[in-house]
Amino acid sequence: MICEALTAGRPGVKAVELVTDTSRRKLLAAAGAGAAAGAVALAPGAAYAAETRRSGSSAQESVVAHIKDHRSGTISLMVGEREVVVNDRDLVARILNAAGGK
Amino acid sequence: MSSHREAPEISKDPVADSTDVYAFVSPKNPDMVTLIANYVPLQQPNGGPNFFEFGDDVLYEIHIANSGKGTADISYQFRFFSQIRNPKTFLYNIGPIASIDDPNWNRPQFYSVTRIKNGKKKMLAKKLACPPVNVGPRSTPDYAKLSKQAVHKLGKRKVFAGQRADAFHVDLGSVFDLGALRPFNEAHLIPLAAMDGINSVQSYNVHSIAIEVPIKEVTRNGNVPSDASDAGAVIGVWTSAKRQKSRMFNDATAKYESKGPWEQVSRLGNPLVNEVLIPMADKDKWNHTAPRFDSRFARYVNKPELAVLLPVLYPGVFPNLAKYGKDRADLNAILMTGIPSGVVPGFQNYTGPVESDMLRLNLAIKPTAKPNNLGLVAGDAQGFPNGRRIDDDVVTIELRAIAGLTLPLVDPSFTPDGAASAIEDGTTNTNAKATNTFPYLGLPGSGYDTTQGKTKAS
Repeated sequence: MICEALTAGRPGVKAVELVTDTSRRKLLAAAGAGAAAGAVALAPGAAYAAETRRSGSSAQESVVAHIKDHRSGTISLMVGEREVVVNDRDLVARILNAAGGK
Repeated sequence: MSSHREAPEISKDPVADSTDVYAFVSPKNPDMVTLIANYVPLQQPNGGPNFFEFGDDVLYEIHIANSGKGTADISYQFRFFSQIRNPKTFLYNIGPIASIDDPNWNRPQFYSVTRIKNGKKKMLAKKLACPPVNVGPRSTPDYAKLSKQAVHKLGKRKVFAGQRADAFHVDLGSVFDLGALRPFNEAHLIPLAAMDGINSVQSYNVHSIAIEVPIKEVTRNGNVPSDASDAGAVIGVWTSAKRQKSRMFNDATAKYESKGPWEQVSRLGNPLVNEVLIPMADKDKWNHTAPRFDSRFARYVNKPELAVLLPVLYPGVFPNLAKYGKDRADLNAILMTGIPSGVVPGFQNYTGPVESDMLRLNLAIKPTAKPNNLGLVAGDAQGFPNGRRIDDDVVTIELRAIAGLTLPLVDPSFTPDGAASAIEDGTTNTNAKATNTFPYLGLPGSGYDTTQGKTKAS
């Protein structure tokens, strides 16, 4: 299912929750991905940094973001006992830029 | 060892490292089954001041498969948390610990038990107390009492989680010195004088999770089976430990924080499978894989490396084994599918064709008054590989099986070498004596009473 926080004004962006029971994967309602982006120090002037607002269902705890493959547009967010996988090339690019110091 | 430090990754994570699994019909109550999973290997009893304990950040599970699919039809989950009662002392205890709720114990640990069946979770209990470790006569003067207090009744079930004496015996020092078995040292490729084996695990403790449940709670038909030929009489048992996917050091608290879904980092069903059969390069993957996917590893069971090494390490001793080129259907049956009917008269513990490493127990076979620690190969169908009892000599049983002793069960054309029925590591059970009541494993050795070994360089 598509996360409302991410899809608002952002067509084509999808967030899914990954249930890693080592055997099966389920796509469930996703939540909290928007908040995770706020955990990364993004470069000033980035368009979404100014526009994105936290939704009512945003994560209320620390979140770990993991970009397993920098060539993909996928980022995994570890929150509580869940993993939320976000496919968002723009978000990934902004984090990679931030990680590179730009 | 059975599964102590058996894979590169888990050897660096002792609190999540499963060492042994036991499953047997309770000797005093044949309507109950006892399941035990041991963790935290090779505990020297005097290892203070931060003595051994379960991992608060580890999800421990004991699984039961009863539907022939190699999946966890029932799981018991155990989650732990520790407290520090007095933040101003470096001591584990500030006086004698007379009871498991004694405030002198500064680092108590508690746990919850949750049962999962058909995907539905039910918490059976929470904040159950573990016993302290056995520190010594001043700190834990009546350890048997502490142990008894830590056996909790949950309806008809009993549960215990805490330190016990390891019951496994093996000669690690010799076995991992190029596959040497001390009694047969003179026949080794690099000969030494023959001698008795040395039990490397003697006097070490482990942390045990033990649960005794009604048999009808774990069988597919909800009954207490009486017909050993009934497929519904057999359960598969294994344990797993899981960690959350992400672990990060919080520099503000100076502690690790875990986030994300639980990932399996350790598992164990039959003894010695990951230890001896799975190559080092695949051991970590094996630990992360659910048993129902074990066909990926079946080639290591069907053509075990150790069966090739034995004739090389002991020249001329295993000529028939050396010539055997077919897959080891005996080992596949014992370890991966269970033994089907017709192989051993009056016995089966077959769980279907799904290859999966599980400890398989036929619950219709009741405890014998005179157990033989060589189990099924010695005619005692109540012992390993029909489940596993505390005193079963699994090292000898599996050594002999790999050496070819069980091959004629499935391939009558094979004649075992004479050494196959004699091979052993030369150890005897010199561990703490098992108790005859739940949780059965012997009381842990105390730190004060630990004596030092001797360092000797070759």
